[in-house]
Amino acid sequence: MNASAADIRSALSLEPGTSAGPSQIKRTGSSNTKKPEGISRELYSLIGPSAPTLVAQLSKPRLKQKPNLGIGTRTKWEWRSFRNKGRTDGLELKHWVKANSNPDADYPFAKYNAQTAHYTYSQDEYARYLEDKEWTKEETDYLFGLVRDFDSRWYIIYDRYEYPGGPSRALEDLKDRYYSVCRKLVRNRPWGGDEASKAMLLSTFQFDKERELTRKKYLTSLENRTPEQALEEEALYIEIKKLEQNERRFKREREDLLRLLAGIDSGLPDVTEDDVASLGQVPAIDSKVKKRKNGIDLESPVTPSTSSVSAPVIKRPQPAKNAAFDAQNCIIRTELPNTTSATKAAHQPAFLRSFKMPTPKAAIAPKVTQALTELGISHSRLVMPTRDNVAQLESLVEATVALVEMKRVVDKVDYDLEVLRTQLGLNEGQEGEEVKAEGIDADESMVDGEADEDGRAQSVASARSGRGSRKQFRRSMSVSSVDTRTNTKRQKRN
Amino acid sequence: MVNYGGDEVSALVVDIGTSSVRAGYAGDDTPRAIIPAHYGFLPTNADNDVAMGEANDSSSVANKSRHAELYIGQSGPSIWRSGMEVGNPLADGLISDFRPIKPLVDHAISHVMRCNPSDHPILVTEPTWNTPANRERMAEIMFEEFNVPAFYIANTGVLNAFAAGKGTAFVVDVGHSMASVTPVVDGFVLRKGLVYSSLPRLVRAQARHILVTATTQRQGIALLPQQMIESKAPVDPNMPPQFTVRQNRVTNTTETWKNWAEEREIDEWIQHCAAVLDQGWNDAAAQARPPRQYEFPTGFNSYFGTERYQVGEQFFWHTPALVASNSNLPKNIPALISESLRACDPELRQVLMGNVVLTGGGSQFSGFADRLNSELTRTFPHAKIHAPGNPIERRYGAWLGGSILASLGTFHQLWISKEEWQEHGKAIVGQRCK
Repeated sequence: MNASAADIRSALSLEPGTSAGPSQIKRTGSSNTKKPEGISRELYSLIGPSAPTLVAQLSKPRLKQKPNLGIGTRTKWEWRSFRNKGRTDGLELKHWVKANSNPDADYPFAKYNAQTAHYTYSQDEYARYLEDKEWTKEETDYLFGLVRDFDSRWYIIYDRYEYPGGPSRALEDLKDRYYSVCRKLVRNRPWGGDEASKAMLLSTFQFDKERELTRKKYLTSLENRTPEQALEEEALYIEIKKLEQNERRFKREREDLLRLLAGIDSGLPDVTEDDVASLGQVPAIDSKVKKRKNGIDLESPVTPSTSSVSAPVIKRPQPAKNAAFDAQNCIIRTELPNTTSATKAAHQPAFLRSFKMPTPKAAIAPKVTQALTELGISHSRLVMPTRDNVAQLESLVEATVALVEMKRVVDKVDYDLEVLRTQLGLNEGQEGEEVKAEGIDADESMVDGEADEDGRAQSVASARSGRGSRKQFRRSMSVSSVDTRTNTKRQKRN
Repeated sequence: MVNYGGDEVSALVVDIGTSSVRAGYAGDDTPRAIIPAHYGFLPTNADNDVAMGEANDSSSVANKSRHAELYIGQSGPSIWRSGMEVGNPLADGLISDFRPIKPLVDHAISHVMRCNPSDHPILVTEPTWNTPANRERMAEIMFEEFNVPAFYIANTGVLNAFAAGKGTAFVVDVGHSMASVTPVVDGFVLRKGLVYSSLPRLVRAQARHILVTATTQRQGIALLPQQMIESKAPVDPNMPPQFTVRQNRVTNTTETWKNWAEEREIDEWIQHCAAVLDQGWNDAAAQARPPRQYEFPTGFNSYFGTERYQVGEQFFWHTPALVASNSNLPKNIPALISESLRACDPELRQVLMGNVVLTGGGSQFSGFADRLNSELTRTFPHAKIHAPGNPIERRYGAWLGGSILASLGTFHQLWISKEEWQEHGKAIVGQRCK
């Protein structure tokens, strides 16, 4: 069959016309489309103009849009001369200002040139009220000039005070003269306002020279203390602070006690918050004591339930409205960790519940892990850490911890008992046959602990109660194979 | 712009010190031009030197002044020239010779900064013990010679306090030739509390003494500058140096240039080696510190251990032997401080001690601030020292304070304008700059 290209074209329903053979190089882009910017020639010859979206994307590299800072146009600045209202002459300095600012506006810093009001007096006033045998009018004028120049900065006025021919004057002399003159002027001049404001103005010019001198003297003597004196003073100060603290604590405790006895309605005032804060150290000591008490102590055996809760959790009352809302929306509010103080705004960020898995104390962690593994539970990982599961796990870990702790106490007590028994046995042996008893002890303890114990129990009456509790615990211990003496015995027996 | 109270009017700040002249724009954090205050000059008394007469003719100087030819700037005194003398306009921190001031300032402003002084208000610094005549002369130079539109002269103590951001401060300034203690209250110096001494000069003299004297380990060190040495060979520490001197320069070297060059060698050694023990003098402590190696231009090199601490110790403590041998010994830093405090009001002492500002290039001995702190806290447990760690801020504290002051909007009413100068004359300087 001879099929021409045209036939195939018609069969494929392609439009005829182009006579371009396969050997002819198709020139794309040369005729009507031009290679767009930003795209390499090789890439363009590959993709051609047929992928306009691609070209558009590639050809126009889009940078991140510049932020519009809202200013829009550029600001023009000008090097412009200005006059300062604070100056008495016509000095023109130049500075950069925005071109659109008002050229006739006042210099913005001129307003800081504030002048304070100063008292002046006439010759007549001086002659009538201000005569002083210590001061001449010229020297008073000089003083007032300095006060004006240095804006009542007395240290500097005193430093620069050099009146030719005048006596040497102390800082207090200068202050005394100035303020007494001011007082006299205020008193003797006609006063426009009411008496109260006049009295107030007068009080601002009050100056007690003697008192100031005494104060300075004290200050100097304070500085001249020897280091030993200063130390002693400090020690005394600390002592009195301690006494005060004790006093306050005592008072508070007494009040607490009274309130406890008389009930809430006793009408006793509450201890103020300030009081508690100022006591600072005292609660810290208390809590330390509490902590020590809460730990398992051999002197005071505690039940597992108390040891599982290390400190009383302060429950914050929730508003009823909130509670209903929470229940409806399945919102569970977590208690803030009670380690942070109530005053600090403790913010708890969002967290995965699986991150807050209970972990036992580092010291007994391996034992707890061991006990739990025995149960086939991994306490470090929960498949589904829902709230209930976590709570369950927590209680489990707590119980295990309590168990391990208790176990340790039991072991200790056991060991003590053993020792005491041995001693007792020795004592008896001294009376009777000591070597034999020991031999039996050893044999029996190897063969049968129970029998040994019973034997002991008969001989040692005081150990009876201890034995009872121990039996109890043996039962509960069966879950764990914590490596202690009692258990090895048990295992042997089993 | 208004937020920080700044308003720059392109003022210039010129700070003339014993070691260098600093100039720059107000509002900058570093001076633009730092040139040595020392200058070289060729003495022009032609009657005894024929060669100099020729030089005079070539420059065709009409006036027969001593300063016909000045060599100023970085390539001024440091380049060896036949018969060149070296001078310094300052003595005891004060300008004692005003003739080279104009060329020095002109060099800094016109040649280094390349700006025209007649376009800019100029703030000049002065030490607290400056005389009224001196500051008036300075104003005259600025207005008459530089034709400045406005001028102000400010106290270095106050400026140092401003540079530390304080209005009230106790400024301990250890410069190149003078150490001073200035109480500043509310931006004013308490003149009665000002004390100063030429302590840094004593320290340098001590350093020279230590270097020149031979010890059991080494010989006395020749302080020949680089410019006088033709060639040298490396030697082991404490071995005699092997070098040849430029013979053609030996005869025409002046005494002042030689002194200047030797001082520079001592300075370089001090800057590299010298330190202060931070807890008071203690032989064991000084020996425990690692020694430091230093090589002189002659090629001689050695390790300096205790010696480098002996130098710094001069700032704080003088041996009784030294005190006995020298009746007018400059007061050391603790003496300066206690004397200054005694002159201050007892009420001010605690405030001042809480605002101690340590400044000046001479205070950059390593351990200086720690030592000062330990000395102060012994008597004032609450003493607080502000010592900038940045060496630029420490060395050019006064310039920096001037830069801050002259760029404040509220300051511009304080300038002495040319108009006021012409109207009131010299008296305006004392009235305005308190």
